[in-house]
Amino acid sequence: MSEGLSAALAAEHAAIFAYGPIGVHLDAGAEKEARATEAAHRARRDELVLALAGDQATPPPAEPGYALPFPVTDRASALRLAVTIEERTGAVWRAALPVTTGAQRAQSLDALTDCAVRATRWRRIAGVVPTTVPFPGRPG
Amino acid sequence: MRSRNANDDAAGRALSRRGVLRLAAGATLGVPAAALTGCGLFDRGEKPPPAPDPLAPLLASAWELAARHDAAAAAHPDLSARLTPLAEAHRAHAAELARITGTTPPTTTPSGGTRSAEPGDAKTTLAGLRSAEREGQAAAAEACRTAPGARAALLGSIAAARATHVEVLK
Repeated sequence: MSEGLSAALAAEHAAIFAYGPIGVHLDAGAEKEARATEAAHRARRDELVLALAGDQATPPPAEPGYALPFPVTDRASALRLAVTIEERTGAVWRAALPVTTGAQRAQSLDALTDCAVRATRWRRIAGVVPTTVPFPGRPG
Repeated sequence: MRSRNANDDAAGRALSRRGVLRLAAGATLGVPAAALTGCGLFDRGEKPPPAPDPLAPLLASAWELAARHDAAAAAHPDLSARLTPLAEAHRAHAAELARITGTTPPTTTPSGGTRSAEPGDAKTTLAGLRSAEREGQAAAAEACRTAPGARAALLGSIAAARATHVEVLK
């Protein structure tokens, strides 16, 4: 159970890191959205640290830095990274669903749903069509 | 040998005691059971139909949502580009739900053709769809929270997809 959540925590650490370079390249409106999103990822991270501590598991710490999947140099690449981050984080939360029950299942579902909705928002801001996918978080 | 015999005897006594208890229980239960059968309450119990899969309502709602989007897109062609991917997503959900529940999907896709378009302007239509998606999201989320692990990921994706539909319909 806690393995799924440990993976989710690692993904949340990476997401928080990524929103730093993302925010730098966005205009005021989108930057506000990026800050709100980063705050939401921090809240999930804090919840997870508590949940894992309750499970007597050792929460994985944040790495000092994360390799971004591609360089972020302008608005377009920043928005593309935001979509990618939400998709990848959503996928990790989805993978936690089959291995959790009760409150942890509910938490994982809420997190997957939030990632999916934010990915949709970022696609809309980036002008990517369609803005939705049929199965958020499903690999491939 | 002797000890085994002793055990057999003990087992025999235990069995016969259980037998007596069973008979007594049967006698006690027999009266009301006979009375109920007399009323015909259990007559239909002879051939119980197979219990429907707990996901049957969710499958039905996926088809229903697809049909609602189709009908709305037909009534408001300017919304078609927004609504068509949502209808397709609901059909994809229905196909997966039919697969995991072993349900035969309808041979003809329920479509807007059989469903009258909802009255009202585009704004009212979008509000109606939004509320239907919200209800659908809540139902899928509830199904996900209580499902066996093997079904949880698919149901989670369906709930999350419906949440993104609410976002698109804003």
